[in-house]
Amino acid sequence: MLKSIKPKKWVIAAYLFIPVALYIFTVFAPLVAALFYSFFDWKGGPTKTFSGIANYIALFHDAEFWASFRHNIFLVVACIIGQIGIAFIMVMLVNSKLAKAKGIHRTFGFFPSTISAVCIGYIWMMIYDYNKGLLNWFLDAIGKGDAKKVWLNEPGLIMLLVAIPLIWQFIGYYMVILLSAVSSISTEVLESAEIDGATGFQRARYIVLPLVKNTILVCITLCIAGNMKAFDNIYVMTKGGPGYSSMVMAMYGYKVSFEQSNLGYGSCISVGIFVLSLAVIGGSQALLKYLTTDKYDRDEQKRLNQIEKERRQAVKVRKKGGALNV
Amino acid sequence: MKKKIVSTLLCAAMAATMLAGCGSNGDAGTDAGTDANTSTDAGTDAGTDAGTDAGTDAGSDADAGSDVSYAGNISIMHFSTSEESEGNGGSDGFRTCLAKWQEENPNITLDETVLANGDYKTQIATLAAADDLPDVFLLQGMNTISWAAQGLVYDLTDSITSSPYADLYNMDYLVPFTADGKYYAYPALTGGTCTVVVYDQSMWQAAGYDSFPTTWADVEAADAYFNDQGIDTLAFGNQGQWNLNSCFVSCLGYQYTGTEWFSNIIAGNGEAAFTDPEFVAALTETQRLFHDTDLFNKDFNALTNEDARERYISGDCAAYICGNWDVSYIQATLKDSDPDKYNNTKFAVLPQAADATKYEKFQNIGLGYGVAISSKVADDPEKLAACIDLAQYLTGTEFSNYVGENYALGGFCGSSFDLSKFDQFTQDFYNYSYVDNKGCEIYDSYVDGSVWSVLNTEMQEMVNGDKDPATVAADTQAAYEAYLAQ
Repeated sequence: MLKSIKPKKWVIAAYLFIPVALYIFTVFAPLVAALFYSFFDWKGGPTKTFSGIANYIALFHDAEFWASFRHNIFLVVACIIGQIGIAFIMVMLVNSKLAKAKGIHRTFGFFPSTISAVCIGYIWMMIYDYNKGLLNWFLDAIGKGDAKKVWLNEPGLIMLLVAIPLIWQFIGYYMVILLSAVSSISTEVLESAEIDGATGFQRARYIVLPLVKNTILVCITLCIAGNMKAFDNIYVMTKGGPGYSSMVMAMYGYKVSFEQSNLGYGSCISVGIFVLSLAVIGGSQALLKYLTTDKYDRDEQKRLNQIEKERRQAVKVRKKGGALNV
Repeated sequence: MKKKIVSTLLCAAMAATMLAGCGSNGDAGTDAGTDANTSTDAGTDAGTDAGTDAGTDAGSDADAGSDVSYAGNISIMHFSTSEESEGNGGSDGFRTCLAKWQEENPNITLDETVLANGDYKTQIATLAAADDLPDVFLLQGMNTISWAAQGLVYDLTDSITSSPYADLYNMDYLVPFTADGKYYAYPALTGGTCTVVVYDQSMWQAAGYDSFPTTWADVEAADAYFNDQGIDTLAFGNQGQWNLNSCFVSCLGYQYTGTEWFSNIIAGNGEAAFTDPEFVAALTETQRLFHDTDLFNKDFNALTNEDARERYISGDCAAYICGNWDVSYIQATLKDSDPDKYNNTKFAVLPQAADATKYEKFQNIGLGYGVAISSKVADDPEKLAACIDLAQYLTGTEFSNYVGENYALGGFCGSSFDLSKFDQFTQDFYNYSYVDNKGCEIYDSYVDGSVWSVLNTEMQEMVNGDKDPATVAADTQAAYEAYLAQ
């Protein structure tokens, strides 16, 4: 009976082929195409001239691209602190005994992440508006009218100002992820800590944080990946301006490709974004792994590695000795 | 068994879709390559035959399009959305003529793609890059040379010169659509100004001026009065970055450079450069007006032109600098909602800069887009004839008469109508656009997007005082030289 229900291997393989084919078609093929086009001087249309690595040399010396990269890194850092940090604090508050209507908190917290980025951009444009914006109205209301600014025309502040809507939008998203991780922590552990006199902060720092470490790592990876390709709400709010002040890599690629009709170089920028994103994600994971492992664990790991190494060497020697005996 | 069949079919369908997708791309690419190599011949042949036939046929009958023999589909892409056409004569005329042509040619199905202007620019650039342009589309002047060089657009020289409306055409409008002496589009929509000062005459009379000042010095003198009233003297929106170029510098520049300088820039003959002192002086004056005075709304760089015109409509500023599309919107909005303001709304050219020596009453006017045909259509002479017929219809007397009679606007053909039957607002704007002022070129209808992208972006920093005009000019010149080097 069981045998008749169990699908054949080729059937399973065929089903599995569907997502693989989709992935190849939607992710891998465009990436390979971008890599291919990045070696051409291509202004659109059927005519392309092979230019070798000229685009990559230009990219390496392109100050605007690297400024855009720095803006992305700023967004990543601001959003890791803002999105995940605030989400963690909110999780601890929602999870506390004092919090009522937890479901409502979860739902409303998650709500902004369901709104399209373009709408978020328009909402925050209204908040930042010079004449009728909420922010300047508030400054007027508290008697700080002198501090009023054309917020979206402030080159020194603009990256922070475009990061705030991003942070606001995704706090709820990370809150839901972290909430599910925190919910899996045994209440006995937390209660024993409470009995031992641990404060809320101590419980969060020494019990919850280490236990949800892996989930936080996933959140950070998602946050980096999301912000390395930031585009839409910034495009709506500033179009990368004033000048290049809020230009991010994806928008720069878009500008070069479609405003300047330089598709070969635009493809090169896309490849650059891919490589830099991988490097940032890989680097951050290695760094986080190092930082989240304490010295005792690292020493213990080293000691175990040493023992394992010695054991292998001993086995090798024994085997050699055996062979000689034969 | 059923499961097996379903799974097999699913997988087969998926694989077939993937292969078909990849396969057709590959084919398209190959075909495209071949087309690109042979399009000149095919194009010329088809153009001479089909174009002339279509032209002659259309000419022999006032109802152009009635003798089209082609039956099938024609894809067309444009940006005259239904929202856009409300109050905008050019868009309304385009949509009306398109519908009429479709009615007269029941054997042809028009596959219309209609996008908002901003989306259209991106979409058409993407399709051009993929060598997959629709049969008929709107070509922006600045793309003419590069797209013609790529063999993407069909050479319409023969069909334009032999068109039934050829005698009526305003040939000046063809310049942005010309490459190597060949015409690649019928200038579309209406000849509209890109720079006009829309002002509330009653506000300026209260400030002591019968009409809008003719010099910046006088505008600056009026600034104190308007500041006391708690309103801005001038409203402007440059969030989109192109506005400062199209609606300000493109006109102010002529006061410094005269007309020859930009003709040389277009020609790329090395006799003019963006680093020339005259052009740098125009940028310097722009920076002074926006950064060193309080004439404009403080948030000009964070405001779209749509938001800025709302400031004018709501009376938060005394004047607003914009293009003809904004005038259409202001007219449609104020006519019923605020008749007083509507009647007080007048038009003026950009004031004279004190140190400009080439001043004339300049207003940059043109037809920014033309109806073009994909070079691939040349493979099918009957279809090409139908496309040419459509292009002629959309830009010919039918269109011009419609926009003239209904909106007092001029098209490629010009038109005669009784101006006195229109209200004062329309008469004033007609006279501003076509009668009273000297027309000059709209910068970004020419040259190349790669040049304007640099200028537009850097000018946003310049008017904030974060970049000096000489640097902006030098960077623009570098982009211009890179473009010429291609």
